[in-house]
Amino acid sequence: MTPEQQTEKAPFDTDAVVDEITRFVAKQTRTSPEADQDLFATGVANSMFAMQLVVFLEQAYSVTVAGPDLQLSNFRTVKSMAALVGRLQADAAADSDV
Amino acid sequence: MSDGLSAEHQDIWRFVGDNAGAWDIAGEIPRTVLTELGASGVLCAEVQKQYGGLGLGSQESGALTAHAGSLCSSLRSVMTSQGMAAWTVQRLGTRDQRAMFLPQLIGGRLAAVAFSEPDAGSDLGAMTTELRFVDDTVIVDGSKTWITAAAYADMIVVIGKAGDNAAAVVVPADAEGVRIEKIPHPTGCRAAGHARVRLDGVRVPAANVLGGTGLSLPFLVTTALAYGRMSVAWGCVGILRGCLDAVTEHARTRQQFGKPLAEHQLVSRRIAELYAAEQIATAVCRHASERWDSGSPDQVIATVLAKHVSATQAVQGSASALQVMASAGASDGHVVARANRDAKLMEIIEGSSEICQLELARHALATGNSSVRQEEAQ
Repeated sequence: MTPEQQTEKAPFDTDAVVDEITRFVAKQTRTSPEADQDLFATGVANSMFAMQLVVFLEQAYSVTVAGPDLQLSNFRTVKSMAALVGRLQADAAADSDV
Repeated sequence: MSDGLSAEHQDIWRFVGDNAGAWDIAGEIPRTVLTELGASGVLCAEVQKQYGGLGLGSQESGALTAHAGSLCSSLRSVMTSQGMAAWTVQRLGTRDQRAMFLPQLIGGRLAAVAFSEPDAGSDLGAMTTELRFVDDTVIVDGSKTWITAAAYADMIVVIGKAGDNAAAVVVPADAEGVRIEKIPHPTGCRAAGHARVRLDGVRVPAANVLGGTGLSLPFLVTTALAYGRMSVAWGCVGILRGCLDAVTEHARTRQQFGKPLAEHQLVSRRIAELYAAEQIATAVCRHASERWDSGSPDQVIATVLAKHVSATQAVQGSASALQVMASAGASDGHVVARANRDAKLMEIIEGSSEICQLELARHALATGNSSVRQEEAQ
Protein backbone atom coordinates (compact mmCIF):
# COMPACT_ATOMS: atom_id res chain seq x y z
CA MET A 1 0.00 0.00 0.00
CA THR A 2 1.37 3.41 -0.97
CA PRO A 3 1.30 6.39 1.42
CA GLU A 4 -1.31 8.00 -0.85
CA GLN A 5 -3.65 5.04 -0.46
CA GLN A 6 -3.22 5.14 3.31
CA THR A 7 -4.21 8.80 3.51
CA GLU A 8 -7.37 8.03 1.56
CA LYS A 9 -8.52 5.66 4.30
CA ALA A 10 -10.45 7.06 7.25
CA PRO A 11 -7.84 7.87 9.91
CA PHE A 12 -7.82 5.66 12.98
CA ASP A 13 -9.74 7.61 15.63
CA THR A 14 -7.81 6.81 18.81
CA ASP A 15 -9.99 8.99 21.01
CA ALA A 16 -13.18 7.23 19.92
CA VAL A 17 -11.62 3.81 20.51
CA VAL A 18 -10.38 4.89 23.94
CA ASP A 19 -13.93 6.00 24.76
CA GLU A 20 -15.47 2.72 23.59
CA ILE A 21 -13.01 0.56 25.50
CA THR A 22 -13.47 2.72 28.59
CA ARG A 23 -17.24 2.23 28.40
CA PHE A 24 -16.82 -1.56 28.08
CA VAL A 25 -14.46 -1.74 31.07
CA ALA A 26 -16.72 0.54 33.10
CA LYS A 27 -19.82 -1.53 32.38
CA GLN A 28 -18.13 -4.83 33.11
CA THR A 29 -16.38 -3.75 36.30
CA ARG A 30 -18.61 -0.98 37.68
CA THR A 31 -15.57 1.30 37.89
CA SER A 32 -14.57 4.49 36.07
CA PRO A 33 -11.15 3.68 34.61
CA GLU A 34 -8.74 6.40 33.51
CA ALA A 35 -7.25 5.87 30.05
CA ASP A 36 -3.77 5.31 31.48
CA GLN A 37 -4.79 3.46 34.65
CA ASP A 38 -3.04 0.10 35.13
CA LEU A 39 -6.13 -2.13 35.28
CA PHE A 40 -4.24 -5.12 36.70
CA ALA A 41 -2.18 -3.29 39.33
CA THR A 42 -5.33 -1.50 40.55
CA GLY A 43 -7.31 -4.74 40.87
CA VAL A 44 -9.87 -3.89 38.17
CA ALA A 45 -8.81 -6.73 35.86
CA ASN A 46 -7.59 -10.31 36.25
CA SER A 47 -6.77 -13.00 33.71
CA MET A 48 -10.46 -13.86 33.14
CA PHE A 49 -11.29 -10.25 32.42
CA ALA A 50 -8.21 -9.96 30.20
CA MET A 51 -9.66 -12.70 28.03
CA GLN A 52 -12.99 -10.88 27.91
CA LEU A 53 -11.05 -7.84 26.72
CA VAL A 54 -9.38 -9.91 24.00
CA VAL A 55 -12.73 -11.13 22.69
CA PHE A 56 -14.26 -7.67 23.01
CA LEU A 57 -11.49 -6.05 20.93
CA GLU A 58 -11.75 -8.80 18.33
CA GLN A 59 -15.52 -8.43 18.00
CA ALA A 60 -15.67 -4.64 18.16
CA TYR A 61 -12.79 -3.90 15.77
CA SER A 62 -12.68 -6.98 13.51
CA VAL A 63 -9.12 -7.81 14.48
CA THR A 64 -7.47 -11.04 15.62
CA VAL A 65 -5.43 -10.87 18.79
CA ALA A 66 -3.20 -13.93 18.70
CA GLY A 67 0.35 -15.09 19.25
CA PRO A 68 2.77 -12.53 20.67
CA ASP A 69 0.01 -9.88 20.83
CA LEU A 70 -1.56 -11.71 23.78
CA GLN A 71 1.04 -10.15 26.08
CA LEU A 72 -0.61 -8.74 29.16
CA SER A 73 1.18 -5.42 28.63
CA ASN A 74 -1.12 -4.84 25.64
CA PHE A 75 -4.16 -4.96 27.98
CA ARG A 76 -2.69 -3.12 30.95
CA THR A 77 -4.43 0.21 30.20
CA VAL A 78 -7.26 1.43 28.00
CA LYS A 79 -4.67 3.42 26.04
CA SER A 80 -2.46 0.38 25.43
CA MET A 81 -5.50 -1.55 24.14
CA ALA A 82 -6.41 1.28 21.78
CA ALA A 83 -2.82 1.32 20.53
CA LEU A 84 -2.98 -2.45 19.95
CA VAL A 85 -6.20 -2.09 17.95
CA GLY A 86 -4.65 0.68 15.87
CA ARG A 87 -1.60 -1.41 15.11
CA LEU A 88 -3.60 -4.57 14.31
CA GLN A 89 -5.88 -2.68 11.92
CA ALA A 90 -2.84 -1.16 10.20
CA ASP A 91 -1.21 -4.61 10.00
CA ALA A 92 -4.39 -6.12 8.55
CA ALA A 93 -4.53 -3.34 5.95
CA ALA A 94 -0.94 -4.17 5.01
CA ASP A 95 -1.79 -7.91 5.14
CA SER A 96 0.98 -8.74 7.57
CA ASP A 97 -0.75 -11.33 9.71
CA VAL A 98 1.40 -12.59 12.63
CA MET B 1 -20.33 -30.64 4.83
CA SER B 2 -19.04 -33.10 7.38
CA ASP B 3 -19.97 -32.41 10.98
CA GLY B 4 -18.26 -35.52 12.26
CA LEU B 5 -21.63 -37.20 12.85
CA SER B 6 -22.76 -37.86 9.30
CA ALA B 7 -22.95 -41.21 7.53
CA GLU B 8 -19.24 -41.35 6.68
CA HIS B 9 -18.41 -41.53 10.39
CA GLN B 10 -21.23 -43.79 11.57
CA ASP B 11 -19.26 -47.01 11.40
CA ILE B 12 -16.50 -45.68 13.61
CA TRP B 13 -18.95 -44.29 16.18
CA ARG B 14 -20.79 -47.62 16.27
CA PHE B 15 -17.44 -49.32 16.84
CA VAL B 16 -16.70 -46.88 19.69
CA GLY B 17 -20.08 -47.60 21.31
CA ASP B 18 -19.60 -51.35 21.05
CA ASN B 19 -16.10 -51.29 22.53
CA ALA B 20 -16.11 -48.49 25.12
CA GLY B 21 -16.80 -50.90 27.97
CA ALA B 22 -13.89 -53.15 27.03
CA TRP B 23 -11.57 -50.16 26.68
CA ASP B 24 -12.60 -48.98 30.15
CA ILE B 25 -11.72 -52.38 31.63
CA ALA B 26 -8.46 -52.62 29.67
CA GLY B 27 -7.56 -49.02 30.53
CA GLU B 28 -6.64 -48.38 26.92
CA ILE B 29 -8.14 -47.39 23.58
CA PRO B 30 -6.43 -49.07 20.59
CA ARG B 31 -4.09 -46.58 18.99
CA THR B 32 -5.43 -47.37 15.53
CA VAL B 33 -8.87 -46.13 16.60
CA LEU B 34 -7.44 -42.81 17.83
CA THR B 35 -5.27 -42.40 14.76
CA GLU B 36 -8.21 -43.06 12.44
CA LEU B 37 -10.44 -40.60 14.29
CA GLY B 38 -7.59 -38.09 14.35
CA ALA B 39 -7.02 -38.36 10.62
CA SER B 40 -10.73 -37.76 9.98
CA GLY B 41 -10.50 -34.48 11.87
CA VAL B 42 -13.08 -35.26 14.57
CA LEU B 43 -10.64 -35.18 17.50
CA CYS B 44 -10.20 -31.41 17.04
CA ALA B 45 -13.19 -30.52 14.91
CA GLU B 46 -12.88 -26.74 15.25
CA VAL B 47 -9.61 -26.57 13.30
CA GLN B 48 -10.29 -24.35 10.32
CA LYS B 49 -10.73 -25.71 6.81
CA GLN B 50 -7.70 -23.81 5.52
CA TYR B 51 -5.58 -26.25 7.55
CA GLY B 52 -7.65 -29.25 6.44
CA GLY B 53 -9.89 -29.33 9.52
CA LEU B 54 -13.67 -29.74 9.70
CA GLY B 55 -14.02 -26.06 10.66
CA LEU B 56 -16.96 -26.63 12.99
CA GLY B 57 -18.41 -23.84 15.13
CA SER B 58 -18.70 -24.25 18.89
CA GLN B 59 -22.33 -25.42 18.71
CA GLU B 60 -21.64 -28.12 16.10
CA SER B 61 -18.43 -29.15 17.79
CA GLY B 62 -20.37 -29.39 21.05
CA ALA B 63 -22.89 -31.76 19.48
CA LEU B 64 -20.04 -33.95 18.29
CA THR B 65 -18.33 -33.84 21.68
CA ALA B 66 -21.57 -34.78 23.45
CA HIS B 67 -22.05 -37.68 21.04
CA ALA B 68 -18.56 -39.00 21.75
CA GLY B 69 -19.13 -38.44 25.47
CA SER B 70 -22.38 -40.41 25.43
CA LEU B 71 -20.44 -43.42 24.11
CA CYS B 72 -17.03 -43.17 25.78
CA SER B 73 -15.77 -40.43 28.10
CA SER B 74 -12.20 -41.72 27.73
CA LEU B 75 -12.32 -41.04 24.00
CA ARG B 76 -14.04 -37.72 24.64
CA SER B 77 -11.18 -36.81 27.02
CA VAL B 78 -8.69 -37.53 24.24
CA MET B 79 -10.77 -35.19 22.02
CA THR B 80 -10.63 -32.52 24.72
CA SER B 81 -6.84 -32.74 24.85
CA GLN B 82 -6.40 -32.76 21.09
CA GLY B 83 -8.83 -29.87 20.69
CA MET B 84 -7.16 -27.87 23.44
CA ALA B 85 -3.75 -28.42 21.85
CA ALA B 86 -5.09 -27.22 18.49
CA TRP B 87 -6.80 -24.23 20.12
CA THR B 88 -3.57 -23.29 21.95
CA VAL B 89 -1.63 -23.43 18.68
CA GLN B 90 -4.37 -21.43 16.95
CA ARG B 91 -4.54 -18.81 19.67
CA LEU B 92 -0.93 -18.47 20.77
CA GLY B 93 0.96 -19.53 17.67
CA THR B 94 2.23 -17.41 14.80
CA ARG B 95 1.01 -17.93 11.25
CA ASP B 96 4.00 -20.18 10.53
CA GLN B 97 3.37 -22.26 13.65
CA ARG B 98 -0.32 -22.71 12.80
CA ALA B 99 0.67 -23.85 9.32
CA MET B 100 3.21 -26.28 10.78
CA PHE B 101 1.26 -27.87 13.65
CA LEU B 102 -2.47 -27.74 12.81
CA PRO B 103 -2.28 -30.01 9.73
CA GLN B 104 -0.47 -32.58 11.91
CA LEU B 105 -3.28 -32.49 14.48
CA ILE B 106 -5.89 -33.33 11.87
CA GLY B 107 -3.54 -35.75 10.14
CA GLY B 108 -3.55 -38.51 12.75
CA ARG B 109 -0.89 -37.25 15.14
CA LEU B 110 -2.09 -37.06 18.74
CA ALA B 111 -1.47 -34.29 21.26
CA ALA B 112 -1.82 -33.45 24.94
CA VAL B 113 -1.52 -30.21 26.90
CA ALA B 114 0.52 -30.30 30.11
CA PHE B 115 -0.45 -27.84 32.85
CA SER B 116 -0.55 -29.56 36.25
CA GLU B 117 2.42 -30.65 38.32
CA PRO B 118 2.80 -32.66 41.53
CA ASP B 119 2.86 -29.41 43.57
CA ALA B 120 0.83 -27.22 41.20
CA GLY B 121 -2.76 -28.32 40.63
CA SER B 122 -5.37 -25.60 41.12
CA ASP B 123 -2.45 -23.35 42.11
CA LEU B 124 -0.80 -23.39 38.69
CA GLY B 125 1.21 -20.31 39.65
CA ALA B 126 3.33 -22.68 41.72
CA MET B 127 4.49 -24.61 38.64
CA THR B 128 8.26 -25.07 38.40
CA THR B 129 8.66 -26.37 34.83
CA GLU B 130 11.19 -24.07 33.26
CA LEU B 131 12.08 -23.04 29.72
CA ARG B 132 15.61 -21.73 29.14
CA PHE B 133 16.71 -20.28 25.82
CA VAL B 134 20.16 -21.04 24.45
CA ASP B 135 20.64 -19.53 21.01
CA ASP B 136 17.83 -20.95 18.84
CA THR B 137 17.10 -23.85 21.18
CA VAL B 138 14.88 -24.02 24.24
CA ILE B 139 15.72 -26.41 27.09
CA VAL B 140 12.72 -27.71 29.06
CA ASP B 141 13.01 -29.10 32.59
CA GLY B 142 10.10 -30.13 34.79
CA SER B 143 7.59 -32.73 35.86
CA LYS B 144 3.94 -32.73 34.83
CA THR B 145 1.30 -35.06 36.19
CA TRP B 146 -2.22 -36.26 35.37
CA ILE B 147 -1.79 -35.14 31.78
CA THR B 148 -4.81 -36.45 29.87
CA ALA B 149 -3.96 -38.36 26.67
CA ALA B 150 -0.21 -38.00 27.26
CA ALA B 151 0.19 -41.80 27.09
CA TYR B 152 -0.99 -41.65 23.45
CA ALA B 153 0.51 -38.31 22.46
CA ASP B 154 2.99 -37.76 19.66
CA MET B 155 3.45 -34.18 20.84
CA ILE B 156 2.88 -32.42 24.14
CA VAL B 157 2.15 -28.72 24.53
CA VAL B 158 4.07 -27.98 27.73
CA ILE B 159 3.19 -24.90 29.77
CA GLY B 160 6.14 -23.57 31.75
CA LYS B 161 7.84 -20.54 33.15
CA ALA B 162 10.31 -18.55 31.05
CA GLY B 163 12.03 -16.04 33.33
CA ASP B 164 9.32 -13.86 34.88
CA ASN B 165 6.81 -14.81 32.20
CA ALA B 166 5.29 -18.00 30.82
CA ALA B 167 5.27 -19.85 27.55
CA ALA B 168 3.79 -22.88 25.80
CA VAL B 169 6.18 -25.07 23.85
CA VAL B 170 5.45 -28.00 21.55
CA VAL B 171 7.60 -30.94 22.67
CA PRO B 172 7.74 -34.12 20.54
CA ALA B 173 6.97 -37.10 22.82
CA ASP B 174 10.00 -38.95 21.43
CA ALA B 175 12.46 -36.13 22.13
CA GLU B 176 15.45 -37.13 24.23
CA GLY B 177 14.79 -36.55 27.93
CA VAL B 178 10.99 -37.01 27.76
CA ARG B 179 9.63 -39.84 29.90
CA ILE B 180 5.92 -40.67 29.90
CA GLU B 181 4.54 -42.97 32.61
CA LYS B 182 0.87 -43.91 32.71
CA ILE B 183 -1.07 -43.11 35.89
CA PRO B 184 -1.95 -46.56 37.23
CA HIS B 185 -5.68 -47.29 37.59
CA PRO B 186 -7.40 -43.87 37.44
CA THR B 187 -10.94 -44.05 38.90
CA GLY B 188 -12.55 -42.38 35.87
CA CYS B 189 -11.94 -41.99 32.13
CA ARG B 190 -9.75 -45.03 32.63
CA ALA B 191 -8.71 -45.31 28.99
CA ALA B 192 -7.94 -41.60 28.49
CA GLY B 193 -4.19 -42.16 28.76
CA HIS B 194 -3.53 -40.01 31.85
CA ALA B 195 0.20 -39.92 32.43
CA ARG B 196 3.05 -38.31 34.24
CA VAL B 197 5.43 -36.47 31.91
CA ARG B 198 9.00 -35.93 33.03
CA LEU B 199 11.18 -33.52 31.07
CA ASP B 200 14.90 -33.64 31.81
CA GLY B 201 16.97 -31.19 29.79
CA VAL B 202 14.73 -31.65 26.75
CA ARG B 203 16.04 -29.59 23.83
CA VAL B 204 13.63 -28.43 21.14
CA PRO B 205 13.90 -25.65 18.55
CA ALA B 206 12.94 -22.22 19.89
CA ALA B 207 10.56 -22.07 16.91
CA ASN B 208 8.38 -24.56 18.86
CA VAL B 209 7.63 -21.93 21.52
CA LEU B 210 4.12 -20.77 20.61
CA GLY B 211 4.02 -17.07 19.91
CA GLY B 212 6.74 -15.94 22.25
CA THR B 213 7.67 -15.65 25.87
CA GLY B 214 6.11 -12.40 27.03
CA LEU B 215 2.86 -14.00 28.23
CA SER B 216 1.67 -13.94 31.83
CA LEU B 217 1.03 -17.40 33.25
CA PRO B 218 -2.59 -16.82 34.43
CA PHE B 219 -3.50 -15.30 31.08
CA LEU B 220 -1.91 -18.15 29.15
CA VAL B 221 -3.67 -20.76 31.31
CA THR B 222 -7.04 -19.01 31.06
CA THR B 223 -6.71 -18.81 27.30
CA ALA B 224 -5.68 -22.43 26.78
CA LEU B 225 -8.23 -23.83 29.26
CA ALA B 226 -11.18 -22.03 27.68
CA TYR B 227 -11.50 -24.64 24.93
CA GLY B 228 -10.96 -27.51 27.35
CA ARG B 229 -13.73 -26.26 29.61
CA MET B 230 -16.25 -26.09 26.77
CA SER B 231 -15.23 -29.57 25.69
CA VAL B 232 -15.59 -31.01 29.20
CA ALA B 233 -18.95 -29.26 29.59
CA TRP B 234 -20.33 -30.82 26.39
CA GLY B 235 -18.75 -34.12 27.38
CA CYS B 236 -20.82 -34.00 30.56
CA VAL B 237 -23.94 -33.52 28.44
CA GLY B 238 -22.88 -36.71 26.68
CA ILE B 239 -22.46 -38.56 29.98
CA LEU B 240 -26.02 -37.62 30.90
CA ARG B 241 -27.39 -38.63 27.47
CA GLY B 242 -25.67 -42.00 27.71
CA CYS B 243 -27.29 -42.50 31.12
CA LEU B 244 -30.69 -41.40 29.87
CA ASP B 245 -30.63 -43.92 27.02
CA ALA B 246 -29.66 -46.80 29.31
CA VAL B 247 -32.00 -45.86 32.14
CA THR B 248 -35.15 -45.28 30.09
CA GLU B 249 -34.63 -48.59 28.27
CA HIS B 250 -34.07 -50.44 31.54
CA ALA B 251 -36.99 -48.82 33.38
CA ARG B 252 -39.39 -49.62 30.54
CA THR B 253 -38.41 -53.26 30.28
CA ARG B 254 -37.40 -54.52 33.72
CA GLN B 255 -40.30 -55.82 35.74
CA GLN B 256 -40.46 -55.83 39.55
CA PHE B 257 -43.52 -56.38 41.75
CA GLY B 258 -45.47 -57.24 38.60
CA LYS B 259 -44.91 -54.01 36.64
CA PRO B 260 -42.13 -52.13 34.82
CA LEU B 261 -39.70 -50.18 37.01
CA ALA B 262 -40.90 -46.96 35.36
CA GLU B 263 -44.32 -47.39 36.96
CA HIS B 264 -42.85 -47.30 40.45
CA GLN B 265 -43.06 -43.67 41.50
CA LEU B 266 -39.86 -43.57 43.54
CA VAL B 267 -38.00 -44.93 40.52
CA SER B 268 -39.62 -42.52 38.06
CA ARG B 269 -38.53 -39.60 40.23
CA ARG B 270 -34.92 -40.65 39.57
CA ILE B 271 -35.63 -40.62 35.84
CA ALA B 272 -37.06 -37.11 36.15
CA GLU B 273 -33.91 -36.01 38.00
CA LEU B 274 -31.73 -37.43 35.26
CA TYR B 275 -33.82 -35.85 32.50
CA ALA B 276 -33.67 -32.46 34.26
CA ALA B 277 -29.90 -32.78 34.66
CA GLU B 278 -29.47 -33.49 30.94
CA GLN B 279 -31.68 -30.52 29.98
CA ILE B 280 -29.91 -28.12 32.37
CA ALA B 281 -26.47 -29.15 31.14
CA THR B 282 -27.55 -28.88 27.50
CA ALA B 283 -29.03 -25.42 28.01
CA VAL B 284 -26.00 -23.99 29.76
CA CYS B 285 -23.65 -25.43 27.10
CA ARG B 286 -25.79 -24.05 24.26
CA HIS B 287 -25.80 -20.66 25.96
CA ALA B 288 -21.99 -20.64 26.09
CA SER B 289 -21.47 -22.03 22.57
CA GLU B 290 -23.81 -19.40 21.12
CA ARG B 291 -21.55 -16.75 22.64
CA TRP B 292 -18.46 -18.41 21.17
CA ASP B 293 -20.07 -18.55 17.75
CA SER B 294 -21.15 -14.90 17.87
CA GLY B 295 -17.78 -13.73 19.22
CA SER B 296 -19.35 -12.26 22.36
CA PRO B 297 -17.03 -11.35 25.27
CA ASP B 298 -19.62 -13.03 27.52
CA GLN B 299 -18.22 -16.36 26.27
CA VAL B 300 -15.49 -16.18 28.91
CA ILE B 301 -17.75 -16.38 31.95
CA ALA B 302 -20.40 -18.46 30.13
CA THR B 303 -17.70 -21.11 29.58
CA VAL B 304 -16.86 -21.30 33.28
CA LEU B 305 -20.56 -21.51 34.08
CA ALA B 306 -21.12 -24.28 31.53
CA LYS B 307 -18.20 -26.33 32.81
CA HIS B 308 -19.22 -25.99 36.46
CA VAL B 309 -22.95 -26.59 35.98
CA SER B 310 -22.53 -29.48 33.54
CA ALA B 311 -20.03 -31.30 35.73
CA THR B 312 -22.24 -30.88 38.79
CA GLN B 313 -25.30 -32.09 36.87
CA ALA B 314 -23.36 -35.05 35.47
CA VAL B 315 -22.38 -36.18 38.96
CA GLN B 316 -25.93 -35.86 40.28
CA GLY B 317 -27.61 -37.27 37.17
CA SER B 318 -25.28 -40.26 36.89
CA ALA B 319 -25.89 -41.04 40.57
CA SER B 320 -29.64 -41.08 39.91
CA ALA B 321 -29.02 -43.26 36.87
CA LEU B 322 -27.00 -45.81 38.78
CA GLN B 323 -29.71 -45.98 41.47
CA VAL B 324 -32.29 -46.91 38.81
CA MET B 325 -30.00 -49.41 37.09
CA ALA B 326 -28.95 -50.91 40.42
CA SER B 327 -27.03 -54.16 39.94
CA ALA B 328 -27.61 -54.06 36.17
CA GLY B 329 -25.35 -51.01 35.95
CA ALA B 330 -22.94 -51.82 38.73
CA SER B 331 -20.25 -53.64 36.75
CA ASP B 332 -17.12 -51.94 35.44
CA GLY B 333 -17.48 -51.24 31.76
CA HIS B 334 -21.25 -50.64 31.87
CA VAL B 335 -22.17 -47.25 30.41
CA VAL B 336 -23.78 -46.09 33.67
CA ALA B 337 -20.99 -47.43 35.88
CA ARG B 338 -18.53 -45.54 33.68
CA ALA B 339 -20.70 -42.42 33.76
CA ASN B 340 -20.74 -42.46 37.53
CA ARG B 341 -16.94 -42.69 37.78
CA ASP B 342 -16.15 -40.44 34.81
CA ALA B 343 -18.50 -37.65 35.93
CA LYS B 344 -16.74 -37.31 39.26
CA LEU B 345 -13.47 -36.62 37.46
CA MET B 346 -15.21 -33.84 35.52
CA GLU B 347 -15.73 -31.93 38.78
CA ILE B 348 -11.97 -32.07 39.31
CA ILE B 349 -10.26 -31.42 35.97
CA GLU B 350 -10.01 -28.30 33.79
CA GLY B 351 -10.61 -26.11 36.84
CA SER B 352 -12.19 -27.83 39.83
CA SER B 353 -15.73 -26.93 40.84
CA GLU B 354 -14.24 -24.80 43.61
CA ILE B 355 -11.97 -22.86 41.21
CA CYS B 356 -14.92 -22.32 38.86
CA GLN B 357 -17.06 -21.11 41.75
CA LEU B 358 -14.39 -18.61 42.77
CA GLU B 359 -14.35 -17.25 39.22
CA LEU B 360 -18.14 -17.08 39.04
CA ALA B 361 -18.33 -15.32 42.41
CA ARG B 362 -15.66 -12.83 41.37
CA HIS B 363 -17.60 -12.10 38.20
CA ALA B 364 -20.88 -11.68 40.07
CA LEU B 365 -19.28 -9.33 42.58
CA ALA B 366 -17.67 -7.25 39.82
CA THR B 367 -20.73 -6.90 37.62
CA GLY B 368 -23.61 -7.05 40.08
CA ASN B 369 -26.74 -8.00 38.16
CA SER B 370 -25.76 -6.11 35.02
CA SER B 371 -25.70 -9.30 32.96
CA VAL B 372 -29.34 -9.91 33.87
CA ARG B 373 -30.22 -6.37 32.86
CA GLN B 374 -28.35 -6.77 29.58
CA GLU B 375 -30.28 -9.90 28.69
CA GLU B 376 -33.59 -8.29 29.55
CA ALA B 377 -32.67 -5.40 27.26
CA GLN B 378 -32.02 -7.72 24.30
